[in-house]
Amino acid sequence: MSEPKLYLNGKPAEDFVENHEHVSPVNNYVMVLGALFFLTALTYAVSYANLGPASLPVAMGVAVVKATLVCMYFMHLRYDDRYHVFIFVSTLIFVAIFFAFTFFDFGSRDRVVEEQGTFVRRQDGGFDAMARVKKRPLPAGAHDAPAAAAADAHGAAPAAAAEPAGAEAGAHAVEPPAAAEAAPPAAAGH
Amino acid sequence: MSDHSTAHRPSGAEEVPHPFRQHHFDTAGQQAGAAKLGMWIFLGTEILMFSGLFLAYFLVRMLYPEMVLSSHELLNKVWGGVNTVVLLTSSFTMAMAVRCAQVGDQKWLKTHLLLTLTCAGMFMVVKTIEYSGKFAHGIFPGKYFDYEAAAHYAAEHGHQLEGLPHIFFGLYFVMTGLHGVHVLVGIGVILWIYLRAQKGHFGPHYYSPVENVGLYWHIVDLVWIFLFPLLYLVK
Repeated sequence: MSEPKLYLNGKPAEDFVENHEHVSPVNNYVMVLGALFFLTALTYAVSYANLGPASLPVAMGVAVVKATLVCMYFMHLRYDDRYHVFIFVSTLIFVAIFFAFTFFDFGSRDRVVEEQGTFVRRQDGGFDAMARVKKRPLPAGAHDAPAAAAADAHGAAPAAAAEPAGAEAGAHAVEPPAAAEAAPPAAAGH
Repeated sequence: MSDHSTAHRPSGAEEVPHPFRQHHFDTAGQQAGAAKLGMWIFLGTEILMFSGLFLAYFLVRMLYPEMVLSSHELLNKVWGGVNTVVLLTSSFTMAMAVRCAQVGDQKWLKTHLLLTLTCAGMFMVVKTIEYSGKFAHGIFPGKYFDYEAAAHYAAEHGHQLEGLPHIFFGLYFVMTGLHGVHVLVGIGVILWIYLRAQKGHFGPHYYSPVENVGLYWHIVDLVWIFLFPLLYLVK
């Protein structure tokens, strides 16, 4: 090239690539769309199978696969400048830090309460906003399933279903056993 | 659509001038690269913003599992599923629109942009149906939540609300609402791109706006990919 177009530190730069362009074949996009539809149908179907505690990790796993497909092919990250991948992944790292530290805090809070007794403990009662409504009779023909049966039917953890049917107590004792399964993978370590 | 090389094409090499090149960039490739870098940084901040809401969801779920489980039964899985399919399709048509701009296919660029707009509109229509269905049964955001009406509505469907359903529905309205605002903004920018495409602004040598609007639209899709199972499906 007779006239350099880009200068680096005052000197003409050779063989520069400033912008990665990649034209994917149409087939790629169609196949990715098909995979996304399939995975959507999969999560939808799985939500009817009572997986119990496994349902959250399974649903999140499928969502992560879908998100990866969208990022790699629709957003071109697979072919793009690695620096964009770096920006994207570092965002995710900061999200992971955000999640992990918040869950560490919540996970260790009860122990601090035990040891020091300085914080107000969450108490039973007073947390059930539905309690005052529940005391009234429900309209005729409506189901009046006890909470325990309802919770069981919808695949809640057995420990949760074992709670008293009245559920007037409302808020659950400090940390229900189901908490571990409800936490996202990032916080599973604590 | 015309055949086109699928290889990498470093844009600095074969520079073709276009009328949208700004004077402070040495090359068109530099301009396109800078625009895309800025877009990715913006998308990073979008992810961080939504992550706060996702964290709130996970915490509420951890602390009050029965409340989340009993409340989410009132959300309509079918409408949620329809919206997922609609949004995934719109992501596909948007990706195709970017491809058409890359290969200079003006006719299909416009068609794909219109298809994307249609899908975005359908998404908002379904959202309106869902929201008005909730409002009709006293399920309002925040302090306007009507416990009694919500309890009756739940009972009609054979469910019983537990604990603090207004917290769950507060999260539902804020998460889907913020996402809906993003869809509306997306409709606006895609319309802008469509109007420019009609003037024939885009081609193989200049398509940054199409590409960056596409990236934004895919992030909107990405957020919904996580919102849908968490709010509608997971037990």
